[in-house]
Amino acid sequence: MNYPVWELTTYGGGFLIALIAIVHVFVAHFAVGGGLFLVMLEKRAYRDDDAGLLSYVKKHSKFFVLLTMVFGGMTGVGIWWTIALLAPGATSSLIHIFVFGWAAEWVFFLAEIVALFIYFYTFGKMDRKNHMRIGLLYFACAWMSLFLINGIIGFMLTPGSWIENRDFWSGFFNPTFWPALVFRTGLALVMCGVFGFVTGAWVKDAVLRQKIMRTCAIWVTLPFVLMIVGGWWYINAIPALPRTIMFEKSPELATYLGTLFWFLPLLFIAALAMTIRMPNGLQKVAAFGVVAIAFVYFGAFEFVREGGRRPFIIYDHMYSNQVYVSDVPAIKQAGFLQTAKWVRHTSVTPENQHEVGADLFRMQCSSCHSIAGPLNDIKPLVRKYDSVFGLDAKLDGLGKITRYMPPFFGDREERWALAGYLFSSINGHPLPDPEPVADLNMGNPVVVAEELPVAIPPFDRTSDGQVLLAWSSLGVREISDSDDHWTIAAPGSDLFAQLVRRGDPPQRITTGVEIHYQMEHAPEVNGMFQVDDTREAFFADAVAIAPYRKDGSYHPYPLLHISAIDSSSGAVLASTRMVAPVATEMGCKNCHGGGWKVAGITGISDATAHDVLAVHDRISGTDLLARARQGEPPACKSCHGDPATGQAGDPALLNLSAAIHGWHANFLTDRSGSQACVACHAARPDGPTHFFREHHGAFMDCTNCHGTLEQHAVSLLKQEALAGKNGAAVLLEELATTADVDVSAIHPRTAWLQQPDCLNCHEEFGLGMSVDAFNTWTDSAADLYRNRQDQMGVMMCQACHGSTHALYPAHNKYGRQRDIIQPLQYQGNDRPIGHDCTVCHTVQPEFEGHHPNSLRL
Amino acid sequence: MNPAALIPSPDALPAHWGWFYVLLLLTFLLHLLVMNAMLGGGIITLISSFRKGEQNLLLCREFSYKWPYTIAFAVNFGVAPLLFLQVLYGQFIYSSSVLIAAWWLSIIAMLILAYYAAYVYDFKFSALGAPRIFVAQFSVMLMLLIAFLFSNNMTLMLQPERWLDYFSNPEGTLLNLTEPSLIPRYLHFVVGAVAVAGLYLALIGHFRFNKGTVDPQALISKGMHYFTVATLLQLPVGIWFLLALPRQVMMIFMGGSALATTLFMSGLLLTLVVLYLGYRRRVIAATLATLVLMIVMVIMRDLVRTAYLSPWFRLADLSVDTQYSPLIFFLVVFVAGLALIAYMIRLALACRGEVAK
Repeated sequence: MNYPVWELTTYGGGFLIALIAIVHVFVAHFAVGGGLFLVMLEKRAYRDDDAGLLSYVKKHSKFFVLLTMVFGGMTGVGIWWTIALLAPGATSSLIHIFVFGWAAEWVFFLAEIVALFIYFYTFGKMDRKNHMRIGLLYFACAWMSLFLINGIIGFMLTPGSWIENRDFWSGFFNPTFWPALVFRTGLALVMCGVFGFVTGAWVKDAVLRQKIMRTCAIWVTLPFVLMIVGGWWYINAIPALPRTIMFEKSPELATYLGTLFWFLPLLFIAALAMTIRMPNGLQKVAAFGVVAIAFVYFGAFEFVREGGRRPFIIYDHMYSNQVYVSDVPAIKQAGFLQTAKWVRHTSVTPENQHEVGADLFRMQCSSCHSIAGPLNDIKPLVRKYDSVFGLDAKLDGLGKITRYMPPFFGDREERWALAGYLFSSINGHPLPDPEPVADLNMGNPVVVAEELPVAIPPFDRTSDGQVLLAWSSLGVREISDSDDHWTIAAPGSDLFAQLVRRGDPPQRITTGVEIHYQMEHAPEVNGMFQVDDTREAFFADAVAIAPYRKDGSYHPYPLLHISAIDSSSGAVLASTRMVAPVATEMGCKNCHGGGWKVAGITGISDATAHDVLAVHDRISGTDLLARARQGEPPACKSCHGDPATGQAGDPALLNLSAAIHGWHANFLTDRSGSQACVACHAARPDGPTHFFREHHGAFMDCTNCHGTLEQHAVSLLKQEALAGKNGAAVLLEELATTADVDVSAIHPRTAWLQQPDCLNCHEEFGLGMSVDAFNTWTDSAADLYRNRQDQMGVMMCQACHGSTHALYPAHNKYGRQRDIIQPLQYQGNDRPIGHDCTVCHTVQPEFEGHHPNSLRL
Repeated sequence: MNPAALIPSPDALPAHWGWFYVLLLLTFLLHLLVMNAMLGGGIITLISSFRKGEQNLLLCREFSYKWPYTIAFAVNFGVAPLLFLQVLYGQFIYSSSVLIAAWWLSIIAMLILAYYAAYVYDFKFSALGAPRIFVAQFSVMLMLLIAFLFSNNMTLMLQPERWLDYFSNPEGTLLNLTEPSLIPRYLHFVVGAVAVAGLYLALIGHFRFNKGTVDPQALISKGMHYFTVATLLQLPVGIWFLLALPRQVMMIFMGGSALATTLFMSGLLLTLVVLYLGYRRRVIAATLATLVLMIVMVIMRDLVRTAYLSPWFRLADLSVDTQYSPLIFFLVVFVAGLALIAYMIRLALACRGEVAK
């Protein structure tokens, strides 16, 4: 960033240039076409010996001089003035690359002035032929001005091979040069008809007036064809990426495209309508109406053309905020402040954070975003963010997948400073005490959980003959309580149980017995387990458990009463209690806004859910929000399949896990620790759930097993890429540039069915000698910890060790005993079941049967 | 903060800087001549409006015909030097312009209004009657304001040490009012404009280029009077300007630089010469001498710029990425354009008698 930025706030975001450029270009096209219009009508007046028409031409030429030479000429200089103030870097670039093009244009501008003065002041005094020749020379010079400026403007959108060879002519005769020239020539001729209506309407002689109106209508409608053909050619000459941004992706341009769509035919129809005889007063009004329609059409076109360059001001050469593409590596290495001029500080400190944020906004955002102004107002765009974290994530993801904005340029601390500025100065929230960048709280309330007492069920080792073990297969079942809008995961906990008859040897029981469950605080949730013959266990699939009490309060660790009943006698053989973890603490609101739904701590609010759909619709061109409003809220998995449940979804689309992690990873790069994980999952240490409650949590975080979010996402996306899904490449592209991601080294895996193996660290079931379990995956679902059995094939791993993420000895934030009920019941300690073999073995075994290292003597 | 850290890195030139330097000085001279006729002519018109006598009124009428042309060409001839200035000194002029952005952009609006006012003054000269003076005042006032803003920017661009003010006011409303040379510099240009415009009116009279019924002799007499008086005024103004320059800049004319000192002495001498010629109403000789004097002045002005910037920058430091074909293209267009203009003017002059009716 080379140049100072003029702080405009309200009238920032390109308002000034839009204003000046549109009025200038509108008149300037008239200035080009109008020359030919004058000469052709003059010629006709001579041919037909029509004094009335000649008088009209003379009057029109005065109007022409006053409008095009004064207003057109001065606003033309005004555009240059304005771009030099709003985008001095880009202006300097264009001036230096094309100085001789500009200089040549200046010569034509000079010749134009001379010609027009002579044409106007010698009207009726010069020899007719010479006078028309002067008029034609004016037109030729004006068209040459168009020719030259067209090359430079086209260069900004499609620099073509100039990017590689830096050759003046490559840049000038760029890929859109000729189509744009045809289009603009057509446009220039259309405009002279449009303005002809205005002067024509003031002609007193009704017959002549009608004749002029018809002539002007022809001048609008015939070149219209040239304009349409040129326009079509122009659109098709634009490379695919900017064309997609222009016509599909840019949220900014949709309005202008819509306007263009309606006003283009409207202009044609209006011009035809002007041939209808009408009262002169109405005709005068209608003439201005046509000018207004043309102006709106023109304005919309200019907005689309300019907007089509996003995120560049000179495509592939300089970003919209005047950062040279070639400077990006240096900025990445040294940070923005170190490489920019005109900033107050060269590094971020807690004291200067706000000033740095303000400087960064001015430097990187204000070229396109006003503050509470008419163009691209930043305020509504950031309004939804209720934390610095969310804004930081938004900045992180800028320009990565949807390419209409430049990426944020700068390091982590600088980005945080800008996010803080947006949060406080633009959004008006008080800035929290200096928050560390890696903070895991993300502006959320700190939940201090109350201790919920748990009565440990009795077990009498001398008299009880059975050991009943029951668990939830997942350490937490995360569900979305946003069903009015969308459902990502419905309630449905998978429960397991194993019943062991104590003895020597102990035996598993699956026949002649029924296992029942009943939710303790909601007895209506109850049922019976089914038998899993293969594993000689019991299971209850998809038990609808929600994390709310009857009073609506959040209760993520409800207890189930489990009992084993003799099928024939109905006698209770054994009973226990288990926790069925379930959470609605999905952190969508951290970035999508809307706040929490329940008690300010959990749940997806309507506003959050609404925003998620709106963003999905905007990015992917879907109509999910409309569907939700019609009472058909989408289920995410209906399109994005889920390998865990076998839902196929749309086979062309990424599976849910790959899509959701792959997308969001682009917004959550370079995070230390588990910040990126707990931003969405219910694992925030100070949150209301904190589901990662096992003993590994004392010295590891999510990333030790799952990798950073980028690594995690890459593993999933690579698998989808292997399956031939196009979406994977798009999401992978930017992730591949992230510092700690070596895409080639990450092994693909199928979501849910392949996970890190416990044995990655615990070789031979021994003490873990490493804390790096990432990137070696189980072969299949059968090998997952939650599905697996010991080496004897008798007990499921989870029966003795507890649920995933809650391995014994687990520490639940709602009470020390909540996650270790069964170890306490059967062993009196918090160790895995079998810590004391005699829980099941009535005679102490001497050999390790279940797995190595299982015998504790 | 070191102001040097604020100076943007310049872009590479497409040809040796000498090309742009010559083009800058040449086109600036053209701009200066026409701009002086425009601004000075406006001022003389205002003064004449307050004076009695038919010839004063006819002088106003005569200038009213010419005024729109002078504006059109002053702007057009201003475009080229500003272009070459941006090529050579872009990192300075863009920066200082942003600092005074609100004022700087207002120039465009003022220019449009001044231009339309000049047309009103021309087209409605008789219809407006005496109140037309308000129209002329309005236009001249805007032009004076524009000139003042130019003086601000042309000095601010040379003083990166003053750019630090940006950090207390990034809203583009700064000016360079505390610069001691600002006022004398401004006056030097405005008074000079009156002198050149006087000469311009005298030339119209001399060549009978008048469109109205003003007496050519009266035009010559009045024009040369304004020329001489204004040039006389330049002596104190010029000395004030010189003394107001920073010492290291002023000293280049006091022996610090042989070229600058020679030019300065030649300028002084030429001023005396043109004063004499003006007093003697020698229109053509005075014009030629003035042209030489202005060339000297334009070069001196550039030496001042170089001296101001010497702690920060030298033109030879600019990197060059040469491609000659666009330069050749421009030169061809330039020559062809001039030929075309000459042809068109010839056609126009051929029916001049009729135009004058």
